Amino acid sequence: MSETKSSGDPAGKTEIQENSDAQQPPSPAPEDVDPSKAEVRVTRKRPESKLPSEPKDPEQKQANENSQQASGAPAPQGAWGYWGSWGKSILSTATATVATVGQGISQVIEKAESSLGIPNPTDLSTQIKEEERQEGSSSSEHPGTSRESDSTSPIGGAIGMFSSLSSVVQSTGKTMISGGLDALEFIGKKTMDVIAEGDPGFKKTKGLMSRTSTLSQVLREAKEREEKQTAEQVSADTVRKAHYGMLFDEFQGLSHLEALEILSRESEAKVKSILASMSGQELHKMKEELEQIREAFSLVDFDDEDLDGRKDEDGTEFVKELTDVLAELQISATADKLSRARKSACDRISELNVPAEGSQVEDGKEASEASGAELISRCSVEGAQRSVACPPQEIHTSAITSLAELTARSIEQFHKVAELILHSQNAGATTLGQASALSQMTVILCKEISLLSRRFTSCLTTVGSNEKGDVLNPLITGVFLEASNSASYVQDAFQLLLPVLEIAHIQTCTNSSQL
Amino acid sequence: MEAIWIYQFRLIVIGDSTVGKSCLLRRFTEGKFTDVSDPTVGVDFFARLVEIEPGKRIKLQLWDTAGQERFRSITRSYYRNSVGGLLVFDLTNRRSFEHLKDWLDESKMYVQPFEIVFLLVGHKCDAGHQRQVSREEAERFALACGMKYIETSAKDATNVEESFTILTRDIYERVKRGHISIQEDWEGVKSGFIPNVVHSSEEAVKPGRRCPC
Repeated sequence: MSETKSSGDPAGKTEIQENSDAQQPPSPAPEDVDPSKAEVRVTRKRPESKLPSEPKDPEQKQANENSQQASGAPAPQGAWGYWGSWGKSILSTATATVATVGQGISQVIEKAESSLGIPNPTDLSTQIKEEERQEGSSSSEHPGTSRESDSTSPIGGAIGMFSSLSSVVQSTGKTMISGGLDALEFIGKKTMDVIAEGDPGFKKTKGLMSRTSTLSQVLREAKEREEKQTAEQVSADTVRKAHYGMLFDEFQGLSHLEALEILSRESEAKVKSILASMSGQELHKMKEELEQIREAFSLVDFDDEDLDGRKDEDGTEFVKELTDVLAELQISATADKLSRARKSACDRISELNVPAEGSQVEDGKEASEASGAELISRCSVEGAQRSVACPPQEIHTSAITSLAELTARSIEQFHKVAELILHSQNAGATTLGQASALSQMTVILCKEISLLSRRFTSCLTTVGSNEKGDVLNPLITGVFLEASNSASYVQDAFQLLLPVLEIAHIQTCTNSSQL
Repeated sequence: MEAIWIYQFRLIVIGDSTVGKSCLLRRFTEGKFTDVSDPTVGVDFFARLVEIEPGKRIKLQLWDTAGQERFRSITRSYYRNSVGGLLVFDLTNRRSFEHLKDWLDESKMYVQPFEIVFLLVGHKCDAGHQRQVSREEAERFALACGMKYIETSAKDATNVEESFTILTRDIYERVKRGHISIQEDWEGVKSGFIPNVVHSSEEAVKPGRRCPC
């Protein structure tokens, strides 16, 4: 693993690699050799590598999908497995190669430019619907376009993009090292925009790429679009969908992110000007020390296997880990708000009152009616047709709300840490120690997000086991997407702390030399 | 959820430590009052919708800054994107009144090139007998600095709504008259949107037509 480590990669290298790889098909990443992740990797690589041999018969695929759905819903597992792989490959910079990173970026650019996703085989039928929908919309309101396909397609389309998005996330940590904040935000905002918007056509991505705005700006724009859409839908009798961006803002995630960005920007400017005023040995020494801190920011290791079999139902483990890490920072920050967010997510899960897996009645139809009946009172929807469809929707809403809340609190935590580090001079902890504690915190938070979405998606598969794939799949995919989204917010917020720690370190050094 | 608003104003709340800024905001946004609370670290956030005219709502994004001196260098960074501010002092703490000038000077320095519309808030007016600043004195100071003055209490909810409404109206008038304009890279005032369902003001006036939130 260590031979692929490249955290010391100088600034230009990654970009050169990226350019030269732009036209090449992606080669398997080194971590593919892990047999336990093989299935997952296949899912992920399909859009690129298996396209030419794509089966042309959509009905067959549909049938395939449906049978998969009936036999214990492996599709969600596949997608979830994907998430697992995400966790492994993205956070584990030690195993990622420069080549992979370069490809990640070039893939995204290619995707963005091709304006429509390459069909994901497991979702080909959805994709076709998607294309129909697009044709329909281009010839202005095609009468044959049903609302059902309307509501499912955007997410179905997005799944085709999922692999390329993951590559973006994968490269985030790496690019940080070499390219600094700009690169991070460039990538981050693209990821955000694509995911948050659920725009299968990537229509706005091209425009985005030429613009330079901050992450919070992009998030805000996404949220505003959601708000606009919601406003337009007020009179229309549409099923109200949970909007991650709006919820994230309601939990004050955007504000905290913006404030963190302000601090990060100002710190970065200060670091630059102080370094510019240094020279000779002093500058050399300082640069080396800052490089160490930077490395601590890139070496986030996340072993997804830890999550398997981990329950932590009541969240005590999470709170304990978090409290320990915060103690290492020695800045009197507490995990209170995060633990409350974790608790409210748990409460939401128990409120859903989903029967435990395996307690299903043999007869699938009865099981469906039973779970439907249990939830019907909560849904306050009349009509048998809709009462069956409602519970998964409600779980989806709970999941998105919980993810948005936990993410907002995570961003808040990073923001508070930044504020406390900036004002507390010469605390007991070294900056390097703080950097590694913060990177551990990032892992803990990402794990929690991952666990949370697992629990919600397992609720979805339990309740929706008798749902049609095209109802359930988009919901499950939606939870995955927002979970991945959430994790990249958290990682981006973590990276925003780098200049803060750098300036704190410089100030500590100059203070002690003055004494 | 259907937060339909015509503008979003960002307001900053400043003043000495323990004058009750966070309590004021919690009362305004959550309707709650707690006697004991932890000092604010850096900045915290609140949000609420205010209806200034029937059917016309403004979203207030409230930045609650730490009053403690040790956070001053951080809170300074947050001034720039605010269109308005509540300058809060404690009626039972004369020093917090004497520091007002410093707060104003600092905010003016860091908000450049923009300007903050301030409202002076004498807080804790419920503690009548412990008062150390008279209404007249506070009013004179406010007048000299071109601010309005109001006395509030988060504890018994006196004038809490009013203080935010007055400030919001002031800013709204200035926006309408073009004295304050929306700018691309400035978060002070953001334009919202009007839903398709509400086509005219007459329609909007009718109760029950609007979304119930």
